[in-house]
Amino acid sequence: MVSTIQNTDVKQKDAARAAVVAVTSRAVFDCGVGGGDDVCGVGVAFPLLQALQRVNERLLEENPAESLLFDVVLITTSSQQQQQSSRISSSTRHYGLEVSRFCFSSEEDFIESLLTNGVQLFLTTDRNEATQASQSGVLSALLDQQIASCPPEQLRVMFCGDAIVQPDTGPTPASRQVAQSFSTQLGEMRQRFGVFNSPLSIVLVTSRGGRESCSGALQKLRSRGVSVDEAYCLAGAPQGPIVSLLRPHFLLSEGFRNLEE
Amino acid sequence: MSLNNGQTLTVREQDLTGNSSSSSSNQAAWEDARVFLKPSTPTRKPKPPKPENAITIAVSSRVLFNMEKEQHIYEQQGMEEYIKYQVEHEMQPFSPGPAFSFVKALEAVNTRLRELYPDSEELFDVVLMTNNHAYVGLRLINTINHHQLFIERFCMTGGNSPIGYLKAYHTNLYLSADPAKVREALEEGIAAATMFTPEKITEVSETQLRVAFDGDAVLFSDESERIYKAHGLDKFFEHEKAHENKPLDHGPLKGFLEALGKLQKKFYGKGQRMDCPIRTYLVTARSAASSGTRALKTLRSWGLEIDEALFLAGAPKGPMLEKIRPHIFFDDQMFHVEGAAEMGTVACHVPYGIAQRVSKKGIKDTETSSGAK
Repeated sequence: MVSTIQNTDVKQKDAARAAVVAVTSRAVFDCGVGGGDDVCGVGVAFPLLQALQRVNERLLEENPAESLLFDVVLITTSSQQQQQSSRISSSTRHYGLEVSRFCFSSEEDFIESLLTNGVQLFLTTDRNEATQASQSGVLSALLDQQIASCPPEQLRVMFCGDAIVQPDTGPTPASRQVAQSFSTQLGEMRQRFGVFNSPLSIVLVTSRGGRESCSGALQKLRSRGVSVDEAYCLAGAPQGPIVSLLRPHFLLSEGFRNLEE
Repeated sequence: MSLNNGQTLTVREQDLTGNSSSSSSNQAAWEDARVFLKPSTPTRKPKPPKPENAITIAVSSRVLFNMEKEQHIYEQQGMEEYIKYQVEHEMQPFSPGPAFSFVKALEAVNTRLRELYPDSEELFDVVLMTNNHAYVGLRLINTINHHQLFIERFCMTGGNSPIGYLKAYHTNLYLSADPAKVREALEEGIAAATMFTPEKITEVSETQLRVAFDGDAVLFSDESERIYKAHGLDKFFEHEKAHENKPLDHGPLKGFLEALGKLQKKFYGKGQRMDCPIRTYLVTARSAASSGTRALKTLRSWGLEIDEALFLAGAPKGPMLEKIRPHIFFDDQMFHVEGAAEMGTVACHVPYGIAQRVSKKGIKDTETSSGAK
């Protein structure tokens, strides 16, 4: 059984305009085995949430009436997490995280939850969850353990020009569409800021391809209104060393399959 | 892998890519395919070598191409105008910069190496390492296409430091117009030099790569220069004579000379010593009669050969370099770098050692950071 609860501490976003991002509670908090109302420890995605929040803050600084914001949803994906619901809400309040809604669902119904809540991007540390969501047409990204050390001051989103960094999560035409509209929103957000000192940085990596691939990806992104800040063309060089320097919060690879075909 | 749209005959890159490195039969297929391509189309070339196997040369955009006008716009009008200008002129290729003919010569060596050793990855790999934002990316890629350069790897860091990426690519040599970045690279143990643009550049060979090095504080450590600066010329001679048989310690560019030597041996191995497309020069203020001996013995102790050693005994280097026509010349003293540039040699400053403590006069390039690197 799914329950969706609004976080009354936080101003709700305009559903039509906001970019709804769902993150699993397991990624954000480390709830361990404590009980009652104990505040949970921070998880790997904590800096990511801070970075999303930071983007919103800066967007509102530029325009207090801004409606293109990140709408962050915390979602549980197992009955075990579901049972921690009160700890999750109290921890969210404790840390002052800008989470608009909680979706307390289990393994069986979290996908339904994502769909009914209009989630545009689902972020999880669990590969199976990402695959399942992706196959249901929800844009997903797998969160790496390394993101715990990513900067909270700047949201770094990486686009993979040739989808090799993450294992293929099986894009469908529907999910390609979702990927495109999400990246368009990101692009629009990015435009609100200048070249320097942006709270959002868009990074393109082409792993296998050379400059033609990269050029194609840059143009494709531009046609969707996404201006790339940093571009790295690896042409087959090992990607590990470069990607670990880039420190992205998450990687988006879907939506580029048509470039590679 | 995406292919060029259009009418050219291309072999699907999927045949070459995958986890294994390219085989020589696929290589032959590439060579055949190239014959049919229109000359103006960027030809599909072999896969770049793995960074750990290759000799990686990282160049910044400002040394590879002439971006003076754009640099000026950045300095006078700021970043937004600079980017606007770049994007508006995206289809207009940049003209060559001071490192251009050096890069072309590297490619000429690669072509010869591939002929002799089709399966080897011991090749030059040129990486474009720029501070520019990716907004300028398309113009840079279009320019690379226009000049038919074989550059498939690049980092457009959008203002972040390139140092980490230099290391990730196992960079053997980094060339930039920005002295601060060069110093940072040297401090991290990466061979690096600040490249300057001469007013006019003398023509250089398209078939033979020529690299000229100063000795002290470039190939060798600055230990002897310290003696000279502290105690004068006589003491310097005495010291060098006394320590003739004690090899000097190595300098920041020793590794690069070593890499060049390794490639040279590959040509010698196939009987091409006389026709070797790489030639190295030592151009030093040391004199042949005395202090030069220690330099030569040091090189020999390192197992390194240098094709020509020119001991100038303090004479200016410009005229000699003008005769040699190297694609690139490395010196730790701005006095010599400027002298060389005045006579049309592409000269690079290696900001290493005791000579840097003395204040430099008349540096052409600005020390301020900029958007275009």
